[in-house]
Amino acid sequence: MEAMEVDGASNLQRKQSLYQSKDERFEIRMEKYTGQQYSQIYFARLHKMRTLLYSLVDKWKPHVPVCTVLGIEEGKECIIVGTLYKHMKLKPCILDEYSKERSAVPVVKPHNFMHPDDQLILEDESGRVKLGGTVLAASNYVTGVVVAVHGKETVSGEFFVQDILERGLPHQIELPLDSREDKYVVLVSGLSVGNGKSNPLNLQLLVDHITGHLGDEKEQRIASQIVRVVIAGNSVEIPHGLLNGQTLAAKDQSKLSEPIKELDILLTQLAAAVPLDIMPGSSDPANFSLPQQPLHRCLFPGASVYNTFMSCTNPHSFELDSVRFLGTSGQNIDDLEKYSEAKDKLDFMERTLRWIHLAPTAPNTLGCYPFTDRDPFLIESCPHVYFVGNQIKYETRLLKGNVAAFL
Amino acid sequence: MEEEEMDEDVFLEETLILRDEEEALILQDEEDRRQLLASRLSKWKRPTSSPCNLITRIDYVIGERHKDLLPNSSGPAAILRIFGVTREGHSVCCHVHGFEPYFYISCPQGMTPDDISRFHQVLEARMKEVNRNSRVPKFVLRIEMFQKRSIMYYQQLQSHPFLKIVVALPTMVAGCRGILERGLHIDGLGTKSFMTYESNVLFALRFMIDCNIVGGNWIEVPAGKYKKTTKTISYCQLEFDCLYSELISHPPEGEFSKMAPFRVLSFDIECAGRKGHFPEPSHDPVIQVANLVTLQGEDQPFVRNVMTLKSCSPIVGVDVMSFDTEREVLLAWRDFIREVDPDIIIGYNICKFDLPYLIERAEALKIAEFPILGRIRNSRVRVKDTTFSSRQYGTRESKEVTVEGRVQFDLLQAMQRDYKLSSYSLNSVSAHFLGEQKEDVHHSIISDLQNGNSETRRRLAVYCLKDAYLPQRLLDKLMLIYNYVEMGRVTGVPISFLLSRGQSIKVLSQLLRKAKQKNLVIPSVRKQGSGEGTFEGATVLEARTGFYEKPIATLDFASLYPSIMMAYNLCYCTLVTPEDVRKLNLPPECVNKTPSGETFVKSNLQKGILPEILEELLAARKRAKADLKEAKDPLEKAVLDGRQLALKVSANSVYGFTGATVGQLPCLEISSSVTSYGRQMIEHTKKLVEEKFTTLGGYEHNAEVIYGDTDSVMVQFGVPTVEAAMNLGREAAEYISGTFIKPIKLEFEKVYYPYLLISKKRYAGLYWTNPDRFDKMDTKGIETVRRDNCLLVKNLVTECLHKILIDRDIPGAVQFVKNTISDLLMNRMDLSLLVITKGLTKTGDDYAVKAAHVELADRMRKRDAATAPNVGDRVPYVIVKAAKGAKAYERSEDPIYVLENNIPIDSQYYLENQISKPLLRIFEPILKNASKELLHGSHTRAVSISTPSNSGIMKFAKKQLSCIGCKALISNAEQTLCSHCKGREAELYCKTVANVADLEILFGKLWTQCQECQGSLHQDVLCTSRDCPIFYRRKKAQKDMAEAKLQLDRWQY
Repeated sequence: MEAMEVDGASNLQRKQSLYQSKDERFEIRMEKYTGQQYSQIYFARLHKMRTLLYSLVDKWKPHVPVCTVLGIEEGKECIIVGTLYKHMKLKPCILDEYSKERSAVPVVKPHNFMHPDDQLILEDESGRVKLGGTVLAASNYVTGVVVAVHGKETVSGEFFVQDILERGLPHQIELPLDSREDKYVVLVSGLSVGNGKSNPLNLQLLVDHITGHLGDEKEQRIASQIVRVVIAGNSVEIPHGLLNGQTLAAKDQSKLSEPIKELDILLTQLAAAVPLDIMPGSSDPANFSLPQQPLHRCLFPGASVYNTFMSCTNPHSFELDSVRFLGTSGQNIDDLEKYSEAKDKLDFMERTLRWIHLAPTAPNTLGCYPFTDRDPFLIESCPHVYFVGNQIKYETRLLKGNVAAFL
Repeated sequence: MEEEEMDEDVFLEETLILRDEEEALILQDEEDRRQLLASRLSKWKRPTSSPCNLITRIDYVIGERHKDLLPNSSGPAAILRIFGVTREGHSVCCHVHGFEPYFYISCPQGMTPDDISRFHQVLEARMKEVNRNSRVPKFVLRIEMFQKRSIMYYQQLQSHPFLKIVVALPTMVAGCRGILERGLHIDGLGTKSFMTYESNVLFALRFMIDCNIVGGNWIEVPAGKYKKTTKTISYCQLEFDCLYSELISHPPEGEFSKMAPFRVLSFDIECAGRKGHFPEPSHDPVIQVANLVTLQGEDQPFVRNVMTLKSCSPIVGVDVMSFDTEREVLLAWRDFIREVDPDIIIGYNICKFDLPYLIERAEALKIAEFPILGRIRNSRVRVKDTTFSSRQYGTRESKEVTVEGRVQFDLLQAMQRDYKLSSYSLNSVSAHFLGEQKEDVHHSIISDLQNGNSETRRRLAVYCLKDAYLPQRLLDKLMLIYNYVEMGRVTGVPISFLLSRGQSIKVLSQLLRKAKQKNLVIPSVRKQGSGEGTFEGATVLEARTGFYEKPIATLDFASLYPSIMMAYNLCYCTLVTPEDVRKLNLPPECVNKTPSGETFVKSNLQKGILPEILEELLAARKRAKADLKEAKDPLEKAVLDGRQLALKVSANSVYGFTGATVGQLPCLEISSSVTSYGRQMIEHTKKLVEEKFTTLGGYEHNAEVIYGDTDSVMVQFGVPTVEAAMNLGREAAEYISGTFIKPIKLEFEKVYYPYLLISKKRYAGLYWTNPDRFDKMDTKGIETVRRDNCLLVKNLVTECLHKILIDRDIPGAVQFVKNTISDLLMNRMDLSLLVITKGLTKTGDDYAVKAAHVELADRMRKRDAATAPNVGDRVPYVIVKAAKGAKAYERSEDPIYVLENNIPIDSQYYLENQISKPLLRIFEPILKNASKELLHGSHTRAVSISTPSNSGIMKFAKKQLSCIGCKALISNAEQTLCSHCKGREAELYCKTVANVADLEILFGKLWTQCQECQGSLHQDVLCTSRDCPIFYRRKKAQKDMAEAKLQLDRWQY
């Protein structure tokens, strides 16, 4: 729970910058559940990605024929494009609730469901095929990623992978570096108001710092260069037991609304001083599945009065002086961590950029709205700043000109 | 070596068609398979010294006698055909000549050799008279005299003269027996009727017994003793003729306990039914056949293919063959069978559905050459209706399809036989054993998929393949082949008998084998309708019901009934008739008088056959178990484990055989004696335990027998620890065993702690075999698997027992029950938990009493004939609220319909008729006033009923928005809350959104799970498996989600 920055300059007048929300594609609005299923989102994803991958294949392996999963012939080299599906032995399954035998010991550590026997399967709308060979490490991939693979079918009906092509980083809009003044954006997450362990003093210090009520002139100057605060999820913590559909006693009603009121007070102070974006996270009073819709304004009667207060979706995307920001409250990376392996969290983030998909595990293991015509999680153009909230520690990495901030 | 398995005694009338006609029908894609065959043939080495095969089937046919092998006889005779596999995997057909059908009668006193020839003439004349149309030159071939003894009753004389009557053909046995039983006039002896012996033994079984061949036996035919058949009539790679006396049967030991490399074909068909009808072969085409062929012992099939009608997109790893006409599909399948030449054909419900359907469909299409699926050229497969009825398994109608030379193994039959499950659909069986859900495509959708394009047909083909794959998986997982082959070897009957017949044939086979060694003959008793007398069954000691929180030691009699029979020498041949008891004046030290009043001689006078069989079985089991411990190779282990299981089951079925009043050889004197001894022993044990383990006898507590079942006694020694109870249990077992005649033995096996004794045959407890950890929770007779209960009952009972026994948390269990009841009354219950399922076996008119599921099926048919359940389907329903006084059967409703229309569930019905009894049973021993506490407490006061959206009064109701907070009506549609609730916005919004979030979690989990089951991400889920536990939840989640989203949208961003 700290804050971070982009470029910098000076003056005690708070800096302004041009803000443009790019959240539209994450908004669900009045769309309804009318019996649609998840196949459509996969279809949309595959369709879009395939066009992108096909355009690369020509340069990648110009002489190898491209075909569908069904078109492959035994022993003949070809390239196929499809969605990966990872068959996982240990993946928790809702049917387990019904198994007769209760196992006394949980089989795996609950935060990772990997197993050496996990098997990758490539699927397109025509069919699926098991992937073999050593090029492709099952531990690095997750269900839902679209890739092109080069190889051939073996006698046993497996597709022996010789090489693999991911989309790679998407195209990035030129960063306009004309302005020579420094401006800062504060990214915070996991305020967890209402959690027994959170210290109200820390939060107040943060607010005071941002609003310029703290520190010497130098610090205040820096504070004045903050042009925006983005709160990336998990701002409150509500005891979940209270929300079981039962009528609440008056005492519990207040327990429920107290943290939100407290948060509203903080936000009001912030919004009075600086433009503020608030994103919902997994513990916030918002819907569960991605994209999470903005927190309702009625929760923040105080802050919502200010026009500087913006309640946003998760994932959240915006442009600030033409600098493109994209980020989530962390669910996508947490889920990748459960179902795949990497050196650190930044690797996961880097992968999502290379797969040009924010949340490939949605809808498989990550809740997601069943979109029918699009896949909003595709990263069509590379953001300048890519951030993920609610992680254990702060890390950053610069990736070929892209800043990846990590909170 | 060739391996053969036996098959049943079917008389095959050959229906021959011209060979030219058949060969004219070769299909295009034959080329590949030709090559396959060619390569197989190239591997085939000529048998050098000794062909030997494991029998897969034995049939017999009537044919001309083999001139070379049997030079001295003429006329038609039965030729046995043994089909099998060699060790190298070649198929074999062996024609066995010279074995003649026969039976025995007791020789009338004073009959001389002259009389015999006169008797022969008379009998021959009568036979001719009866079979006037037959062209057989001689009916009764020979009559010979032997010295034998009947198995029935103790006799002092060692033997009597018996006549062996040899007839020309097996079918004549029954006719001849009839003549003899009705009586025959013989000059000089007068009219006499004869009792026949062993006249009801099936011909093939007779052959097997006489040649010492058991099911799944290795048979060797020495070089030079067989002749290669000149004009082959089968498709087998090896075909030859030999005499029955030349066969060498190898006992299944060592080298010969192995299995031959059978080819196992697993297949499934799909038919395109018309809307609203179950597919019928006269109308509906077969559109796909999926096949998997596996070599016995290998994990992966080596052939996977699917034959489809109309084009079908390719499937990776599967050979997809598409054809334009149904005729081609069927013929391709026939050719495939012939080419692959499977020894065993498996599938799910193939005997009742798939195979008959294919054959009847071919008939409807007039493809005369289709049903040549067997190993005999030009011989058609026929379908016969059979009824199989057994005391143990109940009556089942089925169809018998005889495929020469191949064994059919229907997994459904095996499941129904060996396992008690709540549902036998392939879906639930595979969920149970393999832990996999299978997608279930409703037959009305199948036609739509077929009528789509090659993609949709591919979809169907994938489904069809899965259906063919699952039986194979089940077969492997449950090691059915091993278990059945071993059972066949132990009991000496062919494998197909094991599925199609009851227990008694197995005992009969053993009895006949043993009797033959002992020179005994077994009378053929006419079956007498229903059993005339019943005898007192096994007793149970009065159960002292209650919840025991001290360890309860259980003393078990090891194989009680077999031991009693052995200990007291109970057998047909040791039973002394009451008349003989008076006449023979046997010394009392030589006889046992049983508690039921029968007299049996002791083994020094006459050793019984049944005790001998049992001794052998149990000794063999001991050996198998010892070998099992030694065995390293998993395949060998599988064989041995199958064997010890088979031996155990066989030993226990002997008692049942003697008690089966409609069986082959009932003898109630034996069975009632066995149970009476059993009772005596239980009581004896109780007495001894309660006498010895007392404070007076120096023990800390007085032992108390709280319950005794058929072969076990539960004792509360009063000690507080499991370990102490175990020690006392062992001591008691040893002490009491010493007072019994060998081999009756009381064993200490386990301790229950805690133990909830509900009533006799109903209990639950934690099962301990070592003092450190309990092994499992053991329940008996408690609603955990009954199929006519809804899932709620099962879950509730299981959870309560878990809480009571494992967590030792009775208040927790009570609270759990209360919460569940409250959830039920408040309409918060997952609907799938309330679904009750019943099979629809007949149409409504045929049921005498109106039944809920039948009425519902009728109503559904009126709504939509296409998706309504048909006869044979299982009908799921829930009980809904209806007008006062409506009968229970009128209140049944389709769960989907209930979901869609918000029909209120009749929670009172569930409370009173479903959950109250099982709950009270559990809680009554524990709680005072259980009924009051659980079923009438304050938690039952709040009731919420959903309002139906389409019925009755609701049509007149006007929809109005209400405040989300307090349900007050709101006039202005723009608002979400009434003025009173304005201040609670945040709190109320949190609740709404939390509800949405919960539903979203569920929605995501459920629908992705279904995608996983169907094995495709890019296609919609079509599964309508109502057996699947999440089917209704998935539907409900979809609907709730839509509603919750609407609620949320009222908040307007």
